[in-house]
Amino acid sequence: MNRAAAAATLLPSEMLHCADMTVLERQRARLKWEQEQQQQQQQLQESYFGDLGGVVFHQVTQQGEFEGGLGEVVTRSVKPDPGLVDNSSAWIAHDVMAGFVGACGYGNGTGSGFDMNYGIARTTSCPPTVVAAAAAAAKGKDSVGSDSKMSSAVGRESFKKRKADKVVAEDDTRDKRIKGCAEEGESKITEKNNNRSSSSSSNQNGNNKSTKSSKENSAETSKDNSKVTEVQKTDYIHVRARRGQATDSHSLAERVRREKISERMKYLQDLVPGCNKITGKAGMLDEIINYVQSLQRQVEFLSMKLAAVNPRLDFNIDNLFAKEAFSACATNFPTMGMSSDMTNPAYLQLNSVQQQLVSCCGLDMGINPPDMGIRRTISAPIPETFLDSSCFTQIQPPSTWDADLQNLYNVAFDQGRSTSFPPQAFAGSIEASNMKMEM
Amino acid sequence: MRAPSSLKKEFMKKWISGLQACSSAKQHMNILERKKAIKLSADIAMASTRNGRTCWSRALIANASKDGENKALVEQLLANDEVEKLNNHKQQFSAGSVRPCCNNNKRVRCKKILKNIRCVRSRARKNVPRVVSAKSIAKRMVQKRTQVLKSLVPGGEFMDGISLVEETLDYIVSLRAQVDVMRILVKATETMNRKATTIN
Repeated sequence: MNRAAAAATLLPSEMLHCADMTVLERQRARLKWEQEQQQQQQQLQESYFGDLGGVVFHQVTQQGEFEGGLGEVVTRSVKPDPGLVDNSSAWIAHDVMAGFVGACGYGNGTGSGFDMNYGIARTTSCPPTVVAAAAAAAKGKDSVGSDSKMSSAVGRESFKKRKADKVVAEDDTRDKRIKGCAEEGESKITEKNNNRSSSSSSNQNGNNKSTKSSKENSAETSKDNSKVTEVQKTDYIHVRARRGQATDSHSLAERVRREKISERMKYLQDLVPGCNKITGKAGMLDEIINYVQSLQRQVEFLSMKLAAVNPRLDFNIDNLFAKEAFSACATNFPTMGMSSDMTNPAYLQLNSVQQQLVSCCGLDMGINPPDMGIRRTISAPIPETFLDSSCFTQIQPPSTWDADLQNLYNVAFDQGRSTSFPPQAFAGSIEASNMKMEM
Repeated sequence: MRAPSSLKKEFMKKWISGLQACSSAKQHMNILERKKAIKLSADIAMASTRNGRTCWSRALIANASKDGENKALVEQLLANDEVEKLNNHKQQFSAGSVRPCCNNNKRVRCKKILKNIRCVRSRARKNVPRVVSAKSIAKRMVQKRTQVLKSLVPGGEFMDGISLVEETLDYIVSLRAQVDVMRILVKATETMNRKATTIN
């Protein structure tokens, strides 16, 4: 699901480039994992809002919050990722139930054809009265149902946004044709236009004229939508224009581009040390350039150093060295790896063993075990396998930490400070690692 | 999803095997040659861990194989991994990177034309004293830095804004892994040598 949600935020053209998980996706997955607890609660709660939210709502809460700011480009459509189809169809099934209940509840109040599909597909084109009523009801539910502040805030915000009708950004073919239609209102949200094939033009007109007519249009056209098509409609870009912003297709596209760049710059900011305090694109680019240059220079320097250290380019000795140095550790290692589980204590143990290994390598002196252990358990979304007993695992233990890139940096930093170890220290540190394991 | 730890492991394996290939190809090298070979093999190993999925890795391999004498070495290094993978590389390279190149060339040309037009216009307006706005200064600064970044990231000349930032992200992570692994290897060899000298 992480993977799918991460992939969902990428455009098809980019999907071509990164078939594998790129760094970006990994970072996203990490961020996402950190919020997983909250989101699970939220998803439970969102099913209450099924009549309003549907899939769009899910996306607003998940990805909007996920990007750190709800105010930017918001809802991106779900890609037909094999992993996601199951999940989202499950969600939709969920929402169908909720939507049906909601339709029963609110459909009477408005007296209009508020059917099941409408509840899913056309969430944002409700007339304000319905929205207000539903919002009030949902708020009531919200306060009763859960204590999660964030989700209620998100919910309220998205309700507010539904008041006005929207810019529908549609992308049927890959060429990102964007149709923008703006109306008055506090803010405009984009939504998934489900019935593009049958009545996209009429729907557009409806959106332009008034919310009521568009509602009727959509109500009748969205009846023949099935869940499957909803999952498969993926090639949309969702753009929201704020008040006073231009809504023609060029400026919309430009805004999307800019926001994408700034989003990625945020990830770069996380990645590059010392970039957090700098605001402004030029300064950030400066930092990034410096960092890349310094890394490249380090590579140069290290290769020079290696060339100087080694009279021959034969590194078999190192493998021997690794085997010799870590044979004792390696015997203990697999059993530890076997017993490792997702549970925290095991992680902690594992980690301390790992740590001992590192310090016995002499690569790292500056990390205190408990802190590292906690960080590790927090920041690793995936359990890494330590079962591989090849010499590479032992020769570079810190590699198992870099699920969190910040940690990686810390490790690198500590490595920089560390002094090389005396070869006699092996027995002692192995004993220490055994003690740690029993801890 | 691939764990980042496996990236380092993979890089290490590829690098070591590449180094062995280098050393077997040429027996006696002076320090500069050795350094060059080490760096080349490290770069190729780093690029090949990405399996040709990112632009920078493809560009890195392409740049490395541009050199006449390096080409054989690169092919050897890559063939050292797997033969099919090489084919994949080539296919993806020919399929993936040529088209964006064309697009970008077009785009660049368009921008140039626009710039020329703007220049002409500004020349026409030059008689009127104009205040240079802070916005334009900032824009120029960003553009200048983007150019520098493009020259730093391999293959960056052919990227647009979004993909440049993305590739930079990926490149930084790979570079970092490379530096880490190299540092570890340096340390290991140093301790090795020290051990040998103390024993002797």
